[in-house]
Amino acid sequence: MSTAEITIPIPKARTRAVGPLATLARRRFQLTARTPRELFVPLLTPIMFALVIAPALKTALHTSTSYESFVAIGTVGLLIPLNTMFSGLSVIVDRISGAQPELLTAPIPRGLLVIGNLLVALAITALQVGVLIAVALARGIHFNATGTGVLWFLGAGILFTVGMYGLAEILASRVPRQEEYIARVPAIAILPWFLAGALFPIVALPSFLTWVAKFLPLTHGLALMRYGLLQDSTGLHAIWGLSDPTAMAGLSLAVVGGFALLLTAASIRVFSRSAVR
Amino acid sequence: MNAIEVTKLSKTYPGGVEAVKGIDFEVAAGEVFGLLGPNGAGKSTTVGMLTTTIAPTAGSARLAGFDVAEEPLAARRVSSVVFQEPVVDRSLTGRRNLEIHARLWGVEPREAQARIDELAGTFGLADLIDRPADTFSGGQRRRLELARALVSHPRVLFLDEPTVGLDPRIRAELLEVIAALRSRSELTVLLTTHYLEEAERLCDRVAIIHAGRIVALDTPAALLAGLGRQLVELHVDGSVTSALASLRERGVAGPDAFAVGSRVTVPLHRHSSGEAIAAIHKLGLAGAISAREPTLDDVYLRLTGDSLGAAA
Repeated sequence: MSTAEITIPIPKARTRAVGPLATLARRRFQLTARTPRELFVPLLTPIMFALVIAPALKTALHTSTSYESFVAIGTVGLLIPLNTMFSGLSVIVDRISGAQPELLTAPIPRGLLVIGNLLVALAITALQVGVLIAVALARGIHFNATGTGVLWFLGAGILFTVGMYGLAEILASRVPRQEEYIARVPAIAILPWFLAGALFPIVALPSFLTWVAKFLPLTHGLALMRYGLLQDSTGLHAIWGLSDPTAMAGLSLAVVGGFALLLTAASIRVFSRSAVR
Repeated sequence: MNAIEVTKLSKTYPGGVEAVKGIDFEVAAGEVFGLLGPNGAGKSTTVGMLTTTIAPTAGSARLAGFDVAEEPLAARRVSSVVFQEPVVDRSLTGRRNLEIHARLWGVEPREAQARIDELAGTFGLADLIDRPADTFSGGQRRRLELARALVSHPRVLFLDEPTVGLDPRIRAELLEVIAALRSRSELTVLLTTHYLEEAERLCDRVAIIHAGRIVALDTPAALLAGLGRQLVELHVDGSVTSALASLRERGVAGPDAFAVGSRVTVPLHRHSSGEAIAAIHKLGLAGAISAREPTLDDVYLRLTGDSLGAAA
């Protein structure tokens, strides 16, 4: 045994977050890229809705051409929850059979693991939404977007994705097994979609469900996205009942932003607490 | 400065399970220290507290002077862990696994690459390092995890039952690798194991842990010396208490003789094994009787009344 005295360097008092965050995000992206199901499976159902079911409904119900556009945006509201839920699933895989235990012993704040995963979920969702919109355009579905409108769309999409990923991360931290996680996905990702005005305006719902819909972040997100890409403020009006579309959009953006902020903060807290027994 | 200082460290899990009950120990810089005990003794909980993944209920612990509860990031910066279960990103290459560790522990990229190449050579992974980790055998993956843990030049390395679940050949191979770590005088190693030969072979000092308490702590040689140069083991048909009393009365056994079930173990300090066996035969006590050198299992058995092999 060596008993020689050694000098132990004192670590820097402040850990830089950018380098580790980039490392964690790159790692998550590499793992995701090697799991094609995470990239493509969430796209299937929304594309089916946008390209097959919406045109079929239009024909069957003799609705106007804009209904396809209405549903195309509505399917974004399905794509985002499905994709973020798939991303959350990989957190459980990482915990059970991946390198998460090693990452928890790294000299970095554990919240960075959540943020790293979030960045990748956001990038993949953006890619998928881009594909969905591109496919819709290729199918002849018309959007009526201005520069400002695109910003409203992006703001709503990004904030809603951030909030939904927070929800997925919380669920992944609290649920021990993948099977239990998957069993909860329909209630979180699909049920609200039927109530949030994805396929029809929320005013078409029974009145008490219309009220419920007004409290769903997805309702606000979809109304904002339609306002942005279709210049259609009827969804916002159904929620707020005001005459100024910009004011209503601002209010809905605040709701989605609050949802994102709250769920992200909660997900970091829940993950960090679950990392320590 | 000690590399590890543990003071009255305790952990009670929700539900009231007391996994660790106020343990104290210190590990000098450069020492290889073993925590020896069966499953459920509190070894992994102790490592969990030292690596900040388990919150202590009471007491304190310091790594290289950093309190694990007050300065967890600093404590994690000077340490690395090799886990009981394989913990790698299987779809990534061996090199990428090591790079991620290096980046998170703040090793500069250029230095990290040189270090990875050096460790890949040292651990016999040079030809494998750019392959996905899921193509590695169990032993290769273990060596990869050891290399990963060393990329960041840790002051303290935790090896939590590193050979559990490996076949005997891979286990022997890995023990060689771990034994070689002893030459790195700057590295302090805390090894948990329930394998006696691992503790005897690899550790400068061993703490025997039983039901959350440290029941003995010394060098393997000193622990074994407490049981004399040899011991005699006999199986008794009747009362072991009476047999022990008779042996002590005749001066064959000392106060450290002990019985577990029908087996009586007599450490020999003054008598030769031949003299002891002859005396036991005269007393007409034993059916089967044998003499052998003591092992750490005997130390454990005497202290706890339980066999490590059986308990593990």
